[in-house]
Amino acid sequence: MKKWFVAVLLVLGALAFGQEKLKAGFIYIGPVGDYGWTRAHDEGRKAVEKAFPWLETTYVESVPEGQVGSYIDQMVRQGAKVIFATSFGYMDGVLEAARRYPDVIFAHATGFKRAPNVATYMADFYQIYYLNGLMAGALTKSGKVGYVGAFPIPELKRHINAFTLGVRAVNPKAKVLVRWIYEWYSPAAAKEATEALIADGADVFAFTEDSPTVVQVAAEKGFPSFAHYSPMLKFAPDYVVSGQLVRWGEIYKDFLAKVRAGLYTAKNLEDVDYWWLLPQKAVVLGADFGVPVNPKFIPALKAKKIKHPVFGEISVYDLVMKLHALMSDVELAFDPFQGPIYDRNGVLRVPEGLRLSKQELQTIEWAVKGVVGPWPNEPK
Amino acid sequence: MVEDWFVVMLARGFAFSAPLLLAALGEIVTERAGVINLGVEGMMILGALSAFAVADASGSVWLGVLAAMVVGGLAALSHAFFSVTLRANQYVSGLALTMVGLGLSGLLGKPLAGRPLAHPMPRVDVPLLKDLPVLGPGVFADQSPLLYLGFLAAFALWFFFYKTRSGIVLRSVGENPAAADVLGVNVDLVRYLAVLFGGAMAGVAGAYLSLAYRPSWTEGMTAGLGWIALAIVIFASWDPLKAVGAAFLFGAFYHLAYRFQTYLAPEFLKMTPYLFTILFLVLSALGKSVRLGAPEALGRPYIRGERS
Repeated sequence: MKKWFVAVLLVLGALAFGQEKLKAGFIYIGPVGDYGWTRAHDEGRKAVEKAFPWLETTYVESVPEGQVGSYIDQMVRQGAKVIFATSFGYMDGVLEAARRYPDVIFAHATGFKRAPNVATYMADFYQIYYLNGLMAGALTKSGKVGYVGAFPIPELKRHINAFTLGVRAVNPKAKVLVRWIYEWYSPAAAKEATEALIADGADVFAFTEDSPTVVQVAAEKGFPSFAHYSPMLKFAPDYVVSGQLVRWGEIYKDFLAKVRAGLYTAKNLEDVDYWWLLPQKAVVLGADFGVPVNPKFIPALKAKKIKHPVFGEISVYDLVMKLHALMSDVELAFDPFQGPIYDRNGVLRVPEGLRLSKQELQTIEWAVKGVVGPWPNEPK
Repeated sequence: MVEDWFVVMLARGFAFSAPLLLAALGEIVTERAGVINLGVEGMMILGALSAFAVADASGSVWLGVLAAMVVGGLAALSHAFFSVTLRANQYVSGLALTMVGLGLSGLLGKPLAGRPLAHPMPRVDVPLLKDLPVLGPGVFADQSPLLYLGFLAAFALWFFFYKTRSGIVLRSVGENPAAADVLGVNVDLVRYLAVLFGGAMAGVAGAYLSLAYRPSWTEGMTAGLGWIALAIVIFASWDPLKAVGAAFLFGAFYHLAYRFQTYLAPEFLKMTPYLFTILFLVLSALGKSVRLGAPEALGRPYIRGERS
């Protein structure tokens, strides 16, 4: 009798628990099988679902930007209480849906428009780009570093600027040659852009494109490169120096835990804007997790010594490690965009003793000295 | 300096043109028999996936190419069944093939994404020809064997079309199937074989992408090249030799878009070959100054006894 009673209680408890599960939906711009943006978000989704037994997640992939509204309708009908929209172009669709569903919590990646039930979030790489730039500056022999960029938008301009500042901190005369492919994912375009940069004399490569193409093409010619977004070390173990990796799961865990605890509701998200960097461990230095710098390149980076205004004579490897430690600390004793910084037209953009604010970083349009190539929307 | 620049343009233009040429040659044969197959993109990506899967598992890129031919051919067979046997609308059937190919390859390819190919297809030089000035380093050195195969196929097809009896039979099926039928030609069989060949070639084009051009698999990696191949067929006026030049032109402009980005909008250069194609179409529509060369019966199912 007693046993029977306990069993019923357990079943009821399980049912209640089951009903209480929080449902979170993820909307992706690309297929989860890409090797970049969407896959990284999906890894984050899997990580958070594993971490929280009270969470249930669903996702839809390859959602065109204009159709995000109808996919949100569908997710809400299926009971999603939290919806993550993971592409910049979803911004207005998400805000509109947020007005239709005032009780659903929305979080929009990379956007800048918020509402009481819409938060924004971003894991940004600009600190890591600076570190990669330092290494690229040490490794280039021709003094020309190639960069294959997806679109000339503030996010990429910020990254290329930080990268170039790093390159020139080690190699003041070096140039960063930029080519745009106007696609987030296009292996063929990335390949031809890399070949064009090689023909123009570049001998170290970095890029923003959702495939390991640039890494593979550079390696074929024996040139070092920096990986982007996903672990790409295995695509060219002898030639990938380092790179940047993302861990969206860290943001998803934080956000959903706060929703679960009642800290975030559909009424108080107006000022919730995640801008997570190295200290929050949302981004990681390296071409694979656990390998910040490919050991094959450590001797060369240790051999290259420079005179640093703060640290004096120091090897590039030690400098990277020191600055990595400083930028991983919440105190942020170092920042790549530390004045004085002039743009390539000679205009003072960051006065001595100042840094760029988050707002300025998010809307940056100018190019630092050393960037060579077309730069749409460049302010005069 | 100028010579270097030209050599690089030749080399990159041809490297990029290989998948376009292979797929376009296949489609030329298909269309010359009177069947239009808009499924090139779908067959190409299925070829890319099967080539990668087989080469990855077996370690042999040539087994991969073979697999791509078989899978591309099988995919084309479905188009042949719908458009030749069932006489369904060829445009709809082809589009469906493209969509199914893209979707299916994405689904089946998930476990292979994000893995490099351990032994990609090596690039080779052509003996003797590689020592030619400019053309040697530009065209006949350090390219994929599949590109050379494309050149050979273009010549072979030209010979086939214009110098052999079977070639005339194939062309007549595309120009006037009723007449061919009266002469005792099995129209359906010829069309089946032509579509099959087109699928196998699209498969090889896909194999080039996943084994040589960028040795790995990613969803949607053909990224519209199949559609460009269809444009090349028109631009080359259904002529296999002209297809070599047309495919190169697309490749060269694609390369130059990045080479000249500092001076010229890349969109402009990338758009140029399409502009040529449109101009060509307009000219041929306006007058008879340009002979387009489209097979007369292209896109029309053949039904015996029905006047077309």
